[in-house]
Amino acid sequence: MDVDRERELTADQRKAERAAAVAFAVAILAGIGLFVVYFSGGQTQIEGVLFSLILGGLGVGVALWASRLLGAHEAVEERHELTSGAAGREAFEHALAEEVGPTLARRSVLVKLLAGAGGALGLALLLPVLSLGPAPGRTLRETPWRRGSRVVDETGKLVTLNSVPEDGFITVFPEGHPGAADAQALLIHVPAGSLRLPPDRMAAVPDGTHVAYSKICTHAGCPVGLYRATTQSLLCPCHQSQFEVLDGAKPFFGPAARPLPQLPLGVDDQGVLIALGDFYEPVGPAFWDRGKR
Amino acid sequence: MTTMLERSLKYVDERLGTASFARRALRKVFPDHWSFLLGEIALFCLVVLVFTGTFLTFFYNPSVREVVYDGPYEPLRGQEVSAAYDSVLRLSFEVRAGLLMRQVHHWAALVFVAAIVIHLCRIFFTGAFRRPREVNWLIGIVLLFLALGEGFTGYSLPDDLLSGIGLRIFYSVTLAIPVVGTWVTYLLFGGEFPAGDIISRLFVFHVMLLPALLIGLVVLHLAVLVLQKHTQFPGAGRTERNVVGKRLWPEQTFKSVALLLLTTAVLALLGGLAQINPVWQYGQFRPFDVTSPAQPDWYIGFLDGALRLGPPWDLTLFGYTISEVFWPAILFPGIAFGILMLWPWIERRFTKDHAEHHLLDRPRDAPARTATGMAGLMVFFIMFLEGGNDIFGVLLNVSVEAITRTLQWALLVAPVVTWLVTFWVCRSLKRSHVHPARISAGLRLRRTAAGGYETVDLEPTSHPD
Repeated sequence: MDVDRERELTADQRKAERAAAVAFAVAILAGIGLFVVYFSGGQTQIEGVLFSLILGGLGVGVALWASRLLGAHEAVEERHELTSGAAGREAFEHALAEEVGPTLARRSVLVKLLAGAGGALGLALLLPVLSLGPAPGRTLRETPWRRGSRVVDETGKLVTLNSVPEDGFITVFPEGHPGAADAQALLIHVPAGSLRLPPDRMAAVPDGTHVAYSKICTHAGCPVGLYRATTQSLLCPCHQSQFEVLDGAKPFFGPAARPLPQLPLGVDDQGVLIALGDFYEPVGPAFWDRGKR
Repeated sequence: MTTMLERSLKYVDERLGTASFARRALRKVFPDHWSFLLGEIALFCLVVLVFTGTFLTFFYNPSVREVVYDGPYEPLRGQEVSAAYDSVLRLSFEVRAGLLMRQVHHWAALVFVAAIVIHLCRIFFTGAFRRPREVNWLIGIVLLFLALGEGFTGYSLPDDLLSGIGLRIFYSVTLAIPVVGTWVTYLLFGGEFPAGDIISRLFVFHVMLLPALLIGLVVLHLAVLVLQKHTQFPGAGRTERNVVGKRLWPEQTFKSVALLLLTTAVLALLGGLAQINPVWQYGQFRPFDVTSPAQPDWYIGFLDGALRLGPPWDLTLFGYTISEVFWPAILFPGIAFGILMLWPWIERRFTKDHAEHHLLDRPRDAPARTATGMAGLMVFFIMFLEGGNDIFGVLLNVSVEAITRTLQWALLVAPVVTWLVTFWVCRSLKRSHVHPARISAGLRLRRTAAGGYETVDLEPTSHPD
């Protein structure tokens, strides 16, 4: 029996059969190898390769089988009509409407009430969605910065006029809120006399050299983490918005449309930097009623 | 004496009456063309994703509770990290084959979306979406959305620095939705960024809501396919009334099993050898840290690029603000995907073609459609390039500013040029009968009656025009 089948195979098919056999053998050997590797502690790269060899060996074997050994022949299948036809649709409509009775067809008060009750249920089901988050309220307009908040770095250490070297910058927070996402600000020590701010804003820059801006990009909210001291510009690494530090952090390149809000600063009697209030504008990206108070 | 197979068949058939249905299923005909396998590759990636993903859920902890990392990865030991990040580190370094599973999962996700997109292109450029397949086209587009959602939520789960930045940007985009943006954002995130709920919510989306929808719609996608039968390319013996190809059993089954195994083999190899998303290098997400260069997974690249290309125009109307983020990240994708979804109906308005089509077009057969598709791909490609402008800037030693300005101009010019060139190429190919990918069997010189010479193609195209 087997001999008979053997004779029916062409030389090409016998070759394919041998190749498939080799592929299956590779899969078996890789499987044994994977067991050994796994139980001797595991190693990601070798595991990946062996796993791939098991799958690949099986896959190549089956593919050879499919393409050479099945004696594939083309088949033709007739398409059927997709539509049930006008008569079929009519029969369906009839079956749908017939059983309901006259009430639905008359659009009576009862039907209207049914629709109303359904609507009430729909609204009731929406209520739990409102529990998913708090009302925004004023949270997007306010940060933990208050008049008199002492300035600390991310570890909570107090910041003075001596904490940042000229052309240097650090990330600062209000005391008690180190790491607060909406309060993060950049304190930049610029050369004396270089800032070009309106007088009322200038008054909130201690020593005329320590200016602070929100670190949250006004474009899409990434931390504006890069400072180029040579051009005194801030760069957001996410979408490359750039801000002019000496000119009120106005954007001059990239997609951001609004300056980084300035944080008004002063110095207390112990020489520690303090805030004179919250940022002048809401921090971060724009939202719908940002312009309303 | 009956065999085991006969007995079990009898058992099932006597209770469910499945034998005649199953026999018809085995004889279903599948057209034999490589491009029909793209959707299958996507399907097999989904299988791999479900298996590897299930494994990952056994170890992942969707919590932002602060813990101190004390595992074997030296540089992070002693640092305060979230329980989510900690669990991903443990999965990667302490669970045997855990890193392999995680990397195979991530690679499978990338290939999944890629296979879907290429499958989509095949359907588009061959006109396979035409009547009666408009509904399956819509289901397919929704599947693409769900796949993108799965990708983004999964990418965000490890709570590493890169994924946190991605979430921050996503938060800013939802905030830019006119009128309801603030509320939508707060309901989705559970409050102002970084509200503590978002990781656990993303987890529910990633492992329950989106997969349930995705798998349900895949089943529907395939059910409609079976109901309507496959399309096929024109050729000898192929008409609008039949399907020519290989039967489900045995040829197509063997082929599909082989493809499943080989797809998984490639994914296993990638997961084993090609490192992906090494979250331990990025560190724990902290809202005031940032890293550069920062790139999302490839399929979000076009959106990130759109944000980089966007004009710095915010708009104030009656005291209300429309963010500059709105144009590139909400309006543009809204329009682009809107056109994509409605394409079968848009095209019909121009062609007035309401007939059923089961024979496919070659791209050249519909020059305007092909040109529009290529122009659309060009838009996405330019945005994708811009998404890596910081990387190309370093590689090419050019400033990111120059790249951005160039690509802004390219965005205005290149799609138009692409449209015109594609249209012209299609028209010329249609006239010349040359197959662009088939090398001619040769040319023969023939002397004409007038005494000159002309060339004759030895193998004219098999496609009837």
